[in-house]
Amino acid sequence: MAADDWFDVRGAVAWVTEQTMDKTIGMTRFWEQKYWLSEFSAEFAMAGIIFVVTMLAVLGPVWMERKLIARLMDHRGSTIAIRSLWTGEGNIRVEWWKDLPFGIGVPIGWINGFLWNNFGNESSNPKVTQVGNRSYAGWWWALPGMINNFADFTKFAIKEHMPPRDADQVTYEVAPFIIISTTLLVFAFIPYGPSLYAANPDLSLVYMMAIFGIAPLGVFFAGWASNNKYTLIGGMRSAAQLTAYEIPLLVTVLGIAVLSGTLNIIEIAEFQMNNTLGSVWNIFLMPLGAALFLITMIAEVERTPFDMPEAEAELVEGWWTEYGGMRWGLLFASEYLRALAACLLFSLFFLGGWEFPFEDSLIALPLVGGIFGALFQVVPHSAWLLMKAWLVFGFFIWVRASLHRVRTDQILEFGWRYLLPLSVIQLGLSIWLRLGVYDGGPWPLVVPALITVVAVVLFVVLVLDEDEEALAEQRRPYHVSEINKASPGARINLED
Amino acid sequence: MAYHPRATPNFRNLVVRPMWITLRAGLRTIPVIGPRFFSSGYHGKQAQMLDDETINRIGDNDSGDIIYAADRETSHFVKSISRPVTIMYPYERLEDLEPWLFVPNNYNGRIGVVWETCTACKACVRACPNDCLHMESEVRVNVLDMPDAPEDDAGLSSVEFAEGGYLARKNDDFEEIENTFSLETAHESAPQQYDFAEIIDLSGTTASVRWTDSGKTESVDLEGMIPAEQDIVSGRIDLGRCMFCGLCMESCPFNSFFMTNEYDGMSGLTRDDLWMDAARTRVLPVVHKEAVDRELAKRADKERAKRERAAKKASKEA
Repeated sequence: MAADDWFDVRGAVAWVTEQTMDKTIGMTRFWEQKYWLSEFSAEFAMAGIIFVVTMLAVLGPVWMERKLIARLMDHRGSTIAIRSLWTGEGNIRVEWWKDLPFGIGVPIGWINGFLWNNFGNESSNPKVTQVGNRSYAGWWWALPGMINNFADFTKFAIKEHMPPRDADQVTYEVAPFIIISTTLLVFAFIPYGPSLYAANPDLSLVYMMAIFGIAPLGVFFAGWASNNKYTLIGGMRSAAQLTAYEIPLLVTVLGIAVLSGTLNIIEIAEFQMNNTLGSVWNIFLMPLGAALFLITMIAEVERTPFDMPEAEAELVEGWWTEYGGMRWGLLFASEYLRALAACLLFSLFFLGGWEFPFEDSLIALPLVGGIFGALFQVVPHSAWLLMKAWLVFGFFIWVRASLHRVRTDQILEFGWRYLLPLSVIQLGLSIWLRLGVYDGGPWPLVVPALITVVAVVLFVVLVLDEDEEALAEQRRPYHVSEINKASPGARINLED
Repeated sequence: MAYHPRATPNFRNLVVRPMWITLRAGLRTIPVIGPRFFSSGYHGKQAQMLDDETINRIGDNDSGDIIYAADRETSHFVKSISRPVTIMYPYERLEDLEPWLFVPNNYNGRIGVVWETCTACKACVRACPNDCLHMESEVRVNVLDMPDAPEDDAGLSSVEFAEGGYLARKNDDFEEIENTFSLETAHESAPQQYDFAEIIDLSGTTASVRWTDSGKTESVDLEGMIPAEQDIVSGRIDLGRCMFCGLCMESCPFNSFFMTNEYDGMSGLTRDDLWMDAARTRVLPVVHKEAVDRELAKRADKERAKRERAAKKASKEA
């Protein structure tokens, strides 16, 4: 089963610290202290490892954001113009190396000549003159665009810190640290795998959701303390929106806890993959809950279409406006960290945690089952969880590329009037599933199948909602607008 | 309330359709399946930038042989992965590639005039702040549309004496002009054969009129008078001066003047090309049919009410 694979980071760290303490302090007369010392250092090391893993994992979303959004929105991707060193910008190719003194430029010229000949702007079709390619189009295997993240970090790190003169200095400085620290604390309770987590208290779900809900307070502080009308509006919007979406989110999470019968995140994940317990992914048992969780989480991490607090077109980035340099960089990082946390939580709560889709069924296949078994032995299960999280973040990007930002009143109305009742309904369904259907063993297969089919049918019915009047309008070659005249002396049409 | 088909606010148009469109745009860049299943017909193809007419115009030019193409390749290693690029208007069109960017209904685009319902009142010409509207009209006798013309002729006897309308009287030298003037030998247009007058008041067989030439008001007998009407001689728009403010549309009392949401067909190679004559401002019949019908129905209603009022008045007098 998924819980025991070779990628046992916790066990390895515990073994290393134990051995180290045995060989060092265990030899001395303070040997009694070695037990708590080894435990302490193991936990400390795990916290560090989780921090590093988180920081590496968040590079994925940051990279995907700019690569995927370019594809989805049908624009050029933001990429690095290393190639412009030898191809130049547009059609202008500046041979800059010829200006270098002492003949340093000669070898650079050779290199650039080689690169121009091999990776230049010429097409294989002799009749085609390509319009200059201004983006990096070469080393795809080097993840072009990834290096930009490190360049951005360097830029933020060396920028000057300039708080506004009339800002509330203490609150202004404290606010980003509230946001960043709580964001990092969220990851203390999110398991990356069966043995890759920093802390696992019994009520980790409660801890995690509580800490996840502190950051909006920091956002509100930031908006207020910056002493700027845009940041204030942004902070207020953030407070209103996050309050409206926190409640359906928590009710939905409560439904998950009820269904799994536990308030521990790891146990919730294991409930979906353990043969003796539920062993059905929650998305098949509560598709409505999955949709609610996804929508409320997109709102919680303030991404489009719910990025009203930082609406860059109307509010100049909203509550971030007055932050610059490393503080802005960290806030930006924390935004992506929160998005990554949302994706990880969705994968853990609904997509079966670190289990490969239909893992047990694949292993049980007659001929190829052995191959799958070997695959799941070799690839650590944490990898599946990370891939699922990135996939969910791909969905976030897809949503961002597709949907418009929603108006303030529409966001709040949607949250209070639709999501809250739906989440309560979902909670009732979860209670019914747990008390009325669940019998302590694996779910009967008809239950998730039936629920999924009903959800899909409802979705299709919702999609096929046609507007006959609009279709009639569509048959016109173009539209001629009619206006309601407001000028003095205008004819008033009483029939309309 | 009629929405634009792609702007109708339902779940499909607000969520599903845009998400499918963006997904398709992303899937289009995948090597084998993308062009085959998700292509809109434009992506991944080299646009033939020069049509035959342009090639004729530029003549034997060296660059005529070269195809200028945007680089649609993402990678020089995996050349089959195509990359979304800026569209090449007018060979590619934005509505085809990015259908969610439709032109909104209230966009002030190319000017369209329903000439059938225009009455040449020139409210639009007076409203135009840039003096880009030009309309010439004249009062004339429509010889094909006379009241005494036979029914099977072109005349539908639509021109009648009416208050606010015009009437005409044959000149003294009408017969002389009729006999001596020849289009084959004349170098200028025919001299005026009629005197025109505006009808101020109409009662029975007499009318009080104001003669256009002399400005005198006079009561004349309708016997021997010919109904005349004001016709548009030319309606042209200097689009080079137009700023698309839409004041002309607002000023039109007959709903005949429109700003369409078309952005196309307004360019030219010379300034003269920007003079839009009636043919270029005419909106398509399918589009204006409703507007014309509505306007004509309104006028018919007005006419009916007027006749009823007249009949009531007559019965009361009797």
